[in-house]
Amino acid sequence: MAQALLEQVINGLMTGSIYVLVALGMVLIYGVMHVLNFAHGVLFMVGGYLCHFFFTRLTGSYPLALVLSMAALALIGVAIERSVFRPLQGNLRNQVIASLGLILVIENLVIALWGPNALQLRTAATERLVAIGELRFPMQHVMIIALTAIVVAAMFGFLKWSKFGTALRATSQDRSAAMVVGIPVERVDMASFALGTALAALGGALVGPLFLVFPQMGDAPMVKGLAGILLGGMGSVPGAVIGGLIIGVAESVSTLFLPTDYRDSIAFAIMVAILLVRPRGLFGLRVRGEA
Amino acid sequence: MPRIFSLLLLSALSAFTVQCFGQDKLPVGIVTSLTGPMAPPGKFQMNGFNLAAEEINGAGGIALGGRKYSIELKVYDTRANPAEGASALQRLATVDKVAVVLGELHSGVAAAEAPVAQDYSLPLILTVPTGPNLTEQGNRFLFRVNASNDQLNLALADFIGKQGWTPLSFIAWNNDAGRGGVNGMKKLLGEAKSGYVGYFNVGDVDFSSHISNIRASNARAVMLFMDEEPGSLAIKQIRDAGLKAQLIGTLAMGSDRFLKRLDAARLEGMVQYNAFPPNANTPRIRAFSERYKKKFGEEAHGFAAQSYDGLMMAAAAMQKAGTASDGKKLRDALASMEHEGVIGRIKFDDKGQAHPPVYVTQWCANGSRRILYPENLKADCGAG
Amino acid sequence: MTRGLITAAVIAALYLAPMVASPYLLHVLVLSCLYAIPAVGLNLMLGYTGLVSLGHIAFAGIGAYTAAYLMVDVKVGYWAALAIATLAAGGAGAVIGSICLRFRSHFFMIVTLAFGLMLFSVMNNWDDVTRGAAGFPGIPRPAGFAPLESFYRLALSAALLAFAVQWGVVRSRFGLILVALRQDERLAEAKGVNAALYKTAVFALGSALAGAGGVLLVSFLRVAAPGSFTLAESINAVLIVIVGGAGSLAGPALGALLFVGLPEYLRVAAEWRLVIFGLLLVLITLFAPEGLAALLGRLAKRRRR
Repeated sequence: MAQALLEQVINGLMTGSIYVLVALGMVLIYGVMHVLNFAHGVLFMVGGYLCHFFFTRLTGSYPLALVLSMAALALIGVAIERSVFRPLQGNLRNQVIASLGLILVIENLVIALWGPNALQLRTAATERLVAIGELRFPMQHVMIIALTAIVVAAMFGFLKWSKFGTALRATSQDRSAAMVVGIPVERVDMASFALGTALAALGGALVGPLFLVFPQMGDAPMVKGLAGILLGGMGSVPGAVIGGLIIGVAESVSTLFLPTDYRDSIAFAIMVAILLVRPRGLFGLRVRGEA
Repeated sequence: MPRIFSLLLLSALSAFTVQCFGQDKLPVGIVTSLTGPMAPPGKFQMNGFNLAAEEINGAGGIALGGRKYSIELKVYDTRANPAEGASALQRLATVDKVAVVLGELHSGVAAAEAPVAQDYSLPLILTVPTGPNLTEQGNRFLFRVNASNDQLNLALADFIGKQGWTPLSFIAWNNDAGRGGVNGMKKLLGEAKSGYVGYFNVGDVDFSSHISNIRASNARAVMLFMDEEPGSLAIKQIRDAGLKAQLIGTLAMGSDRFLKRLDAARLEGMVQYNAFPPNANTPRIRAFSERYKKKFGEEAHGFAAQSYDGLMMAAAAMQKAGTASDGKKLRDALASMEHEGVIGRIKFDDKGQAHPPVYVTQWCANGSRRILYPENLKADCGAG
Repeated sequence: MTRGLITAAVIAALYLAPMVASPYLLHVLVLSCLYAIPAVGLNLMLGYTGLVSLGHIAFAGIGAYTAAYLMVDVKVGYWAALAIATLAAGGAGAVIGSICLRFRSHFFMIVTLAFGLMLFSVMNNWDDVTRGAAGFPGIPRPAGFAPLESFYRLALSAALLAFAVQWGVVRSRFGLILVALRQDERLAEAKGVNAALYKTAVFALGSALAGAGGVLLVSFLRVAAPGSFTLAESINAVLIVIVGGAGSLAGPALGALLFVGLPEYLRVAAEWRLVIFGLLLVLITLFAPEGLAALLGRLAKRRRR
C-alpha cells in the first residue's frame, strides 16, 4: 500500500509540474497587472506548435527551437498586452471576455493552419527508464519534475535578486507607490506579459516531446493551473507552485480510493475545501483596498 | 466602427461562396465534428464519405428518372453539441433539402438528430456512434451501419473469456464511447473478471496514475477504449512503465498509421476489435484499401470504411427506390435491401441496426497483422 | 408610450411568425428563446448584481435531468415535472450559491467554474439516473406542443415570461438593492442590507430560471445529454449576457439571437466561423463594451437628432 501511495505521489508531482509550468506565467501576469488571462492555456499550446515548427522546418536542434518559440511567444504576448489588455485594465469582466475571445481565435486558427491531428515531436532523450527503489519510472517523469524545479528556481532568483525582478515585485505590491519611486510601470506590464507568455511557451515546448502536440493540449492544464493558483493564493509565486503540485498529487492519489471518473472533481473539491478554510489561499495576502 | 465590422464580415463570407456549374446536383447531408477534440476521428469519417462520393460521381453519378445526378456533400460541423446537431438536421431537411443524412460521431448528438430526421421523413444513417439505446427509440428513419457497443463487446468478451485474459482492467475515455464500452464489457464478463477502471477526459495525455494502479492490481490484460492519439500515448507509457499485461484495443489501434506513432516492438501481441482488416484476402477489401491509400496516402481507418459503405448503400437505395426526394420510399428501400460493403454484408434489422462482422486482429512482431476471430475468417500475419 | 407600442407590435409579430417564417428560421428562433431564458437569470446575477458565474449552465442541467428523470422514469406529467425541476434547480442554486458567495471577484468566478465542472461530472458519470455520456433520450414534448410551430409559441411565451420576471425584479425594491450591492456593497451593508441574503436569493432565482430553460431545451431536443451543459456552454451564457448588454433589460434577447443566429449564419464558413466569432468578441469588448443593447440605443439616439 505504501508503495502504491509513493508511486502515485511521484506521478502526481509530475502532472502537477505541468500545471505549475502553466500557472507560473499566469500568476506573474496576474500579480503585476491584476489581469486573469484565460488565454494562457492556448498560448502554452502555441508554444508547443511553434517549437515543433521550428524543430522540423528550421533547425534540427531542439534546444534552439525551444528558445525560438519562447522568443516568438514573448512577442505575441507583448502584442496581446498592448492591443487587448492594456485598454481593458481595471475591467475584470471585459478582460475575461476578451481572453475567451482570444481562445476561440487562437485555438481555431491553429486547427485551420495545422489541422486537427496531433503532431509528434520526437527527440532522442526521452526514451529511457529510471529506477527509484523498486519502482521504475519513464525518463520523462523525472525530466518534467527536474525541469520544472529548475524553471521555478530561476524564477525565484530572478524575482528576488535581479533589478527588474524587484521592479516587478514592487509593481505587483503597490502600483502607485512603484510609480512614485520612478518604476516605469507600463514597461513592467509589457515585460511581465512577455515573460509570462514566454514561460507558457517553455511549458508547451517541454511537454510537447513527452506527449503530443495538439490543439487542446493547454485547456486542461490551464484550468488545473488556475485551481492551483487559487489554492496557493493569487499573486503568490510560491503559492502557485505549491498549489499546482497539490492539485496534481491529489488527483493521482485519489485514483487509489475513489472512482476515477471523478478524478477532476476531486481536485476542485479540494480547492474549494481549502479556500473555505483559508479564503485567500494558502499563501495569499490581504491587499490594501480589497474587501 | 460597426460599418467596418459588417465590411469585414461580408468580405469574409464572400470568400466562401462557391459557383457550381455542370451536372445536376443531388445534395446529401453529412454531420460530423470538423473542429474540437473529436476532429481527428471526424476527418477519417469524412475521408470515407469523400472517397465514396468521388467514386459514385466518377462512375457517372446516380441515375434517377432518366437523368444523371452527381452527389454533392453538404457537411455540417456539430461539434459534439446536441443543439447544433438538431439545428444541422433542421437545416439539411428544410433548407438544403437533402435526400439522406449520414455520419455523426457522438451518441448524444445523434440522439438529438434522430427525432428531427423522423419529423421530416428524412433517413439518417449513422456510421460511427455506438450507443445501444439509439436504435431502441422506435425511429423508423434511423439506421446504423456500424456495430453498436453491445455487438462489439459481445464479440470481444467471447474471445477474451476463451483466452483467459481476466481480470481485465480498463483505461477509457470518459465519454459515450468509452463509458459505453466499459459498462458493456463489465456486464458481459461479470464483476469477478473485471478489474480497475481508469477513466480520463478527452485531451488528457498522462496515464501514469492509472498504469500504477493497474500494475498494483495484477491485471492480466488492459483494454483501451480510446482513439489512436491517446492510444499511442497510453501504450507507450504502459510499456515504458514495464507493465507487461496483454493489451486489447479498439478499431482505432489497428492501422499502419497507429503503428507509425509507436513501433512494432511495443505493439507486438496487442489485440483489437476491427470493423475491417485492410489487408484481408477479400478482393473487395483489398480494392478499397488500395484506392484509399492512393487518395489519402495512408491506411484506411475503420470509421472511413464504415462511412464509405454508408454512402454507397444510400446511393444504391436511391437507385433502387428510383427517388431522392421521397423519404418514405427511400427508407423502405434501405430497410429491405442487402449491401455488400467493405465491412461485410450490411442488412438492417427491424430496429435499423446492421450486423456487420466484428473482427479481432492482432499485431505481429514484424508490424503486420493477423486475424484471430471470427473463426471462419482467420488469417495469418500480413493478411490482417 | 411609443416604446410600449413598439414592444407590443414586435411581440405580436413574433407570435404570428410561423405563418411566414421557414421551419429552419423557427428552429433558430426557438433555440434563441431557450438560450435567452438562462441568460435572463444570469443577467440578474451578473448584470445587475455583479456576480460573474462561470458555472451557470450546470443549473440548467440540474433542471433538465430532474425533469427527464421525473417524466420518463417516474412517469410524472410534463408541467408538474417542469415545476419541480425549476424548484430543484433553484434549491441547488441556493445551496451551492451560498458556498460560492463566500468568495469574491476572481475567487468567486473560479469556484463557480469548479462547481459547474463537478456537476457536469455527475451528469456524465451517474449512468443509472442520467444515462451517462450517451445521453437520456425519449424526453417528450408537452402534449399539444409537439409540432415545431406550436413549440415555437411555447418557447416564445416562456421567454417572454422570463423577461417579465426580470422586468418585475428590476423595478422592485429587491432589484434596486441588487444594483446597490453591485455598486458598493459596503455602503449598502452600512445601510442595513443583508448582502449575503440578497445575493443568495438572486443566485437561487437565476439558477431556477436556468433550470426552467434547461427543461424546455431538452424537451425541444428530445434528449438530455451532458454535451449541452459543459463549461463551454456556461461561458457561452456569460458571453450572451455581456455582449447583449449586461444590466440591460433587452440584453439577454439580443445576445441570445446573436449567439444562436450568427454561428448558424456562418455555417458556410466551416472552420473559420469560430475564428470570425472570436475576433468579433474581442472587437466588441474593445469598442462596444457595454454590449449590443447600449450600442443600438446610442445609434437610435443619434438618428433621432
